[in-house]
Amino acid sequence: MADIVEVRGLVKRFGELTAVDRVDFTIAEGEMFGLLGPNGAGKTTTISMISCLLEPTEGEITVAGHSIREQQTALKRTLGVVPQEIALYPTLSAAENLAFWGRMYGLSGAKLKSAVEEALELAGLADRSKERVEKYSGGMKRRINIAAGILHKPKVLLMDEPTVGIDPQSRNHILETVKDLNDSGMTVLYTSHYMEEVEYLCDRIAIMDHGRIIAIGTLNELRDVVGGMDVISVSVGEVSEGVLAAVGAINGVKGVNRSEGTMEVLTPGSGSILGKLVATLESEGAHVTSVTVTEPNLESVFLHLTGKSLRD
Amino acid sequence: MTRVFHIAVKDFKILIRDKAAFLIMLGMPLVLIFILGSALGGVGESESIDIPVAIVSVDSGEQGDVFADAIADVEELQDVFNLAVRDDLAAVRAEVERGDLTAALVIPEGFTAALEAGEPVQLEVLQDPGSEMTAGIWAGVARAAAANLSAGQIMRITAEGLLAEAGVTPGAVGDQGTGDGQVAFDAVTIEQVEVEQEKQVSMIDYYAAGQTGLFLLFGAMFGAFGFVKERREQTLARVLATPASKTEVVAGKSLGIFAVGAAQFFVLFFGTRYLFGVDWGPTPGGIVLIGLAEVFAATGLAMTLSALGRSERAIGGIGPTVIMLFAALGGAMIPVEMMPSWIVPLQSVTPVYWAMGAFLDLMRGEAFGTALAPFAAIVALGAAMFAFGLWRLKYE
Repeated sequence: MADIVEVRGLVKRFGELTAVDRVDFTIAEGEMFGLLGPNGAGKTTTISMISCLLEPTEGEITVAGHSIREQQTALKRTLGVVPQEIALYPTLSAAENLAFWGRMYGLSGAKLKSAVEEALELAGLADRSKERVEKYSGGMKRRINIAAGILHKPKVLLMDEPTVGIDPQSRNHILETVKDLNDSGMTVLYTSHYMEEVEYLCDRIAIMDHGRIIAIGTLNELRDVVGGMDVISVSVGEVSEGVLAAVGAINGVKGVNRSEGTMEVLTPGSGSILGKLVATLESEGAHVTSVTVTEPNLESVFLHLTGKSLRD
Repeated sequence: MTRVFHIAVKDFKILIRDKAAFLIMLGMPLVLIFILGSALGGVGESESIDIPVAIVSVDSGEQGDVFADAIADVEELQDVFNLAVRDDLAAVRAEVERGDLTAALVIPEGFTAALEAGEPVQLEVLQDPGSEMTAGIWAGVARAAAANLSAGQIMRITAEGLLAEAGVTPGAVGDQGTGDGQVAFDAVTIEQVEVEQEKQVSMIDYYAAGQTGLFLLFGAMFGAFGFVKERREQTLARVLATPASKTEVVAGKSLGIFAVGAAQFFVLFFGTRYLFGVDWGPTPGGIVLIGLAEVFAATGLAMTLSALGRSERAIGGIGPTVIMLFAALGGAMIPVEMMPSWIVPLQSVTPVYWAMGAFLDLMRGEAFGTALAPFAAIVALGAAMFAFGLWRLKYE
């Protein structure tokens, strides 16, 4: 598949602060691409530049062959944007909101009417289309927020943290909707700080931190970054240098990190060292209260690359 | 262009669904016009003033009564006074003392005799000290009547002299039905000086113009609220992420503010006219021209407020301050003639000043052409505020 989104050497500075620092990636047509990172990593700033809301300090973006610098209007026609905030008019009904956003993308007449009906069906809110959005629950608002971004059938859909602050049922509905849209051929750029969502949805993932992409690839490629190792998280009290050294000396341990009250141990086979690890800790006087084993995932990749948790 | 229209329609819908805005933009001005106009003597001003006065003749001759009746029959006086001819001086005096009567004209004993002798007659006016002004009007009426009476006497004396020279006795004249006194009293009328007097604007008319001038500017505040709210709730960013350009967004939002203001103006114009009988004058075209010019100025002010205020709270502070200042300087609260001279140079920077001047001129019956200079001034002020707002406007 040809690349439909190309981001090259993207930089955004706000005074002294560099929010996005030399970011490069491409997204193939029909791909579901994830941008994962903690809050403040630069994901929203990147999306804002792709959707022409912020001008890049340096770098180039093209979408469907249209340059952000020279063909902004044409570029915007190819995009659908679902912002992190619920960017709807609360005193208008869902149908009125969707009709307005459709008109902004040039839809009118019968085409607009059918697009609005289709979007309402997709959001599962066809029977409540005449109610004012302010009367909806958080999850319903989120669904209309997404519907407003897709009713003109964009080639590329930009979704910025679309599941923030909603109930599990609405989240599942949204994730399934996004999957369906991608299955129908729509290219999706999905940002989130929920690794489970990105793991579930995305073909390829870029991990961002402090404005930079620190890893990029498929889920398996990223797992390989940590060498397919498990993470054993042990809740202990005080962890002295002596305890760390004793754990590091256990055969099969490939790395040890500690944060407040927790020690994380990287190992290719957690089953073979678990008993020895607990015994070593007890013998060193550390009081173990819980042990969790996690198979390689994006969290462990992020931990491996940055030394901190995604949710820190 | 269609996006401009759709943004304007959306903003119009949102604003007319905002109950607080609706109340402030339409409810408050109508209530204030009614209260201020009523309290300051506007409502019913076109009806007769109906000042209670009396004429008492204690003259034992017949000319006293004839004179009293002659004054009471004057139609112009009936429009102004609730006039009664009485014969009990003591009772009338007591009523004046109680304030039941504002004033009374007393025709004294010996009036007929003095008249026939050609001697001066002293008429007395009893007046309520608490109603000095209206009693003064009645005294003026009495003086006018006396002056005409004196003129009648001169005529009579002259006629008597001429008749005597011709060998005709005065009694013969009376026999012909043109008695001496009758000749004189028929001449008693209210003297009317024919001058080109400009039509007076009643208080309710004044406050209709003033409150319209003031509250049209409140449309600017709600327009600015809308802009800032869209910025805060990210709908503005979302619109800008569509193919709509910044120019289209600004034009659409401005058109929406203008449309709401225009609707507000027409509701106030027709509402005050048909609910309170406000007389906007014979040139409604001029009033509409000035009203729409002020709506344009309000749109410009909305843009300035949107640029200056980063939040609704900030605009809620800046907006009313600027608007009330404009309204006070412009004469929407008290007439500009009553303001100190140092304020005069400041007045011309407020659209309300120009709008008020034009509204009042048109209400007084001035021609459409008098509205053109204020129209140009208001549009220029609106354009200046619009340009400033556009220059300083932040979209993120």
